[in-house]
Amino acid sequence: MITVRIPTPLRTLTGGNEQVDVEGATVRDVIESLEKKCPGMKDRLLDDKGVRRFVNLYVGDEDVRFLDGLETKLTSGTEISIVPAIAGG
Amino acid sequence: MSLQGKSALIIGAGGLGCPAALALVEAGVGRVALADDDQVELTNLHRQILYDDADVGRDKLDAAVEALERRARPGQRIEAIRSRLLPDNALAMVRGFDVVLEGADNFATKFLAADACHLAGRPLVHGAAVRFRATVWAVAPEGRPCYRCLFEDLPRGEAQLTCAEAGVLGPVVGLAGALMADLALDVLSGSPRFGTLYAYEGLADRLREVPVAARPGCALCGPAASISALEELCYTAVDDCDDALITRGVQP
Repeated sequence: MITVRIPTPLRTLTGGNEQVDVEGATVRDVIESLEKKCPGMKDRLLDDKGVRRFVNLYVGDEDVRFLDGLETKLTSGTEISIVPAIAGG
Repeated sequence: MSLQGKSALIIGAGGLGCPAALALVEAGVGRVALADDDQVELTNLHRQILYDDADVGRDKLDAAVEALERRARPGQRIEAIRSRLLPDNALAMVRGFDVVLEGADNFATKFLAADACHLAGRPLVHGAAVRFRATVWAVAPEGRPCYRCLFEDLPRGEAQLTCAEAGVLGPVVGLAGALMADLALDVLSGSPRFGTLYAYEGLADRLREVPVAARPGCALCGPAASISALEELCYTAVDDCDDALITRGVQP
């Protein structure tokens, strides 16, 4: 089981839930599982080149850009955080 | 090390800029400048700690300079730059300082600050905060990594995530602004911590350290960098999602 933490702007797709538990062996699997539970999520996270530029996906404390990207392998109990780029203050 | 001979420019006298400025002045930085052109609004007061009710409607810089001068020690200079950072003034503005801090509320200014500081050879501390989350990191003059290593370019039609309902918590920007000042002081004292992004999650009270990698194809600091001048067009907002560039409800 992988826990995905959902940022506020995407909670409209999760019925307001701030975390969603899904299955998946890689980040890509998890996003596919997430899409099944929360349709529309995949398009918000990925474009045809991979993870959208303005979204950061963290596996634990590591940005997947600096791991194996969407092919990053996951073990059960891992937490994925979705972090959109922010401007504000 | 004495900070009396050092200078810092803070872009944006808002929720991040106010606490950052206060910390830098209290730390003894000899010359602290703020750049902004907004007025104080009632909705700013919960987080923009240099202003109070009597300042509503005043230019932020009038109120900020007064508040900081009350704290300054003899010989310290507080300066007001009554402008936003723009492509035609950015290089000249940042060149005059030992370190630049940007707490801008829009991506266009963040990219412009990143480009200008790199081209002018100035270290830059980025800060951003929305709702419970904040990110802060320091970038070396030579980059490797820089803001464009992380985010490439302005959002163009893909920024839906930042169009959402926003708002920002006073304690979160207070922490982030203080951390920006801390990273700036590290730069000024010769022990910079470049390239680590600090991401604060307010709901869990958790600070995550993320090492940012230099992107080989970075247009600003990569081996084949293509950005060599600040062209107005590069910082123009997206037509169909203009709101994305100025997160709703969050003013500088």
